[in-house]
Amino acid sequence: MAASNTFDAIVVGSGMTGGWAAKELTEKGLKTLVLERGRNVRHITDYTTALKDPWELPYNNRPANADRKAQPIQSTLYLYDQSTKQFLVDDTKYPYDQAQPFNWYRGYQVGGRSLLWARHVFRYSDLDFEANLKEGVGIDWPIRYADVAPWYEYVEKFIGASGENPGLPQLPKQVLQPPFEMTALEKHIKREFEKEFTDRMLICSSIAVLSREHNGRGPCQGRNQCARGCPYSAYFSSNGVTLPAAAATGNLTLQPDAIVHSLIYDENRQRVTGVRVIDANTFTSTEYFAKVVFLCASSLNSTSILLNTRSARFPNGLGNDSGELGHNLMDHHNGGGATATYSGLLDRYYKGRRSTSMYIPRFRNVSKREEKFVRGYGYEVYSGRGSWTRGIDTADFGADFKKEITRPGEWSIYIEGYGETLPYRDNRIWLSEDKLDRWGMPHLNISMTYRDNERAMAQQMMDDAAEMLTAAKLENVNGFNHPIVPGSVIHEMGTARMGRDPKTSVLNAHNQIHAVPNVFVTDGSFMVSSPTQNPSLTYMAMTARAAEYAVGKLKAGEL
Amino acid sequence: MFDRRLFLRGASVLMGSAALGQVMTAFAATPRKASFFSESEMRVLRTLVDVILPATDSPAASSADTHFFIDLAIPACAGPRARETFHAGLKALSGYDGLAPEKQVAKLRARAEKDMALPYEESFFRILKDYTMTGYFLSEIGATQALAYERIPGGFQGDLELKPNQKAWAI
Repeated sequence: MAASNTFDAIVVGSGMTGGWAAKELTEKGLKTLVLERGRNVRHITDYTTALKDPWELPYNNRPANADRKAQPIQSTLYLYDQSTKQFLVDDTKYPYDQAQPFNWYRGYQVGGRSLLWARHVFRYSDLDFEANLKEGVGIDWPIRYADVAPWYEYVEKFIGASGENPGLPQLPKQVLQPPFEMTALEKHIKREFEKEFTDRMLICSSIAVLSREHNGRGPCQGRNQCARGCPYSAYFSSNGVTLPAAAATGNLTLQPDAIVHSLIYDENRQRVTGVRVIDANTFTSTEYFAKVVFLCASSLNSTSILLNTRSARFPNGLGNDSGELGHNLMDHHNGGGATATYSGLLDRYYKGRRSTSMYIPRFRNVSKREEKFVRGYGYEVYSGRGSWTRGIDTADFGADFKKEITRPGEWSIYIEGYGETLPYRDNRIWLSEDKLDRWGMPHLNISMTYRDNERAMAQQMMDDAAEMLTAAKLENVNGFNHPIVPGSVIHEMGTARMGRDPKTSVLNAHNQIHAVPNVFVTDGSFMVSSPTQNPSLTYMAMTARAAEYAVGKLKAGEL
Repeated sequence: MFDRRLFLRGASVLMGSAALGQVMTAFAATPRKASFFSESEMRVLRTLVDVILPATDSPAASSADTHFFIDLAIPACAGPRARETFHAGLKALSGYDGLAPEKQVAKLRARAEKDMALPYEESFFRILKDYTMTGYFLSEIGATQALAYERIPGGFQGDLELKPNQKAWAI
């Protein structure tokens, strides 16, 4: 345990944003305590499956019935297998209630889901920041692109990202290393798009994976086993990048196995003085004190902590004067897309396993207003030649079958839209009145559904996907529009939105609780709308921005 | 802060343990006894996996202990209904290992044609094929001899010429 219970700053959570808060606050000289509810995961040393061959993993990496029983929700995740299951929670230990079906994927350990993320890092633009105001949806963002732009650059330079700047206003220019190479099929599609469309293009995704060495990290070794933890530090994780930087200052105290129950609110000073913590293993309670608190526990958990902090001043949760705390939950939706095959280019192949998608940037509601829906979507694009798995569910067997199946098959492609979801007030979370987990924490209830705008968009996502693959002269084009359980894109966000008016928002433009100025919430809960692009880069940039503001105010004696 | 030597050493620590794992597995592999299926069922299973994936320019499925993989994986990974279907299907093929090779092929062909129309949980052939393929192509022999495998490819090259007779990547 920590030698003293008093610090300058406390950061709750050690994942994507907690690591950034820790780095920024410690580098600015604050003695900082990082509280992580899960176990410690040391960079490299604790990546126990990182370099295992398939035959060294149980059942050749196939999940077992016992795994699915302990992790009924987590085991439905696309990257779940014997090599990654240790970074996802045991659902039976961490129950929650689904008023509507919601897949809540959680990584309770040092580094959180920064170990598991899909690493796509695009910036938002003013198309995104101005959308709510222009369309009269929800409330206006209290910031614009110019407020975040320098912080995007700051974060990109430190984390190291690779990709392709397409020169589109909806995807602002980034600091990027050279992109990973396209496959022969992707090059073909890129050329066909250039001939067929003026508003659509295929680019390499911006991704927090190093194509070149960066600050002694990387480059990527082409294993595409990122979610096991990278022994080459080639992708950005809190464990491999921000937490080591914070530790190097000598100002960091990292406390794993520490579940934050609530914040301690001082009615007289109208400030938070610290946090109440339950030891995950011994169930004992401890209090830690600090001048400033950063909540970086992931969207739903940071809001839970605020909802669980009740006082005479804030009977409905800390900072909840607006009544918006817990409301306006969002996630993306990715049910619409298409598949196709291509019988040409049989003399082309590839070497290594690329850990990124290709990308078709948003083209709907950019220069022309659509009639059926507002906002838009981009596509992630995955291609490859058929592997042995194409022979699993067929009637064939024998020597000829084996010879055929061990050679590369036809090219195939899978493209999947990632669509914006509007903020709806009744998509929300709240704490159970009577059900407690083993640490005495109230169960979280989640209720979220997609609505008409998302459904109309998903239909168009499918139709556009099929149209584009057909235009690229591919074969066996099949559009799809799968129903999506909210939470499945793992971009859950909102529930403590920022805004200009304390009557309609929880946080101000600096991620600071309006009525409790020494508490900052910088994970995805601050989001006011859910743009098309993957959100983590924005969370990181906003965390660094809030940290500078907080330290300035602290030094000025205003916190 | 980011010491290249330190992180390369970190990688080599993990490599060391991975290599050790292989040695241990190899050591533990002989002699091998089934844990779930009976000896006679194992003889049938051994024959079946070799009818599906016989020796060609790479070893047969049984050379990679695919039948032992199935013996471990069916009870651990298959759902209760699939496990039941599989066990019943295996029992129904009692004596299969004693048939002439062409009869073995014909019998499995008939079974495949019938079973492909059934739902997975009720289809002996589909379950058998699934576990045989996973067991073999993700074994060391299957991945490195029947297919091509690199634990650490060293990067990604997206557009290369396919060489004559080049094997597909295992993963």
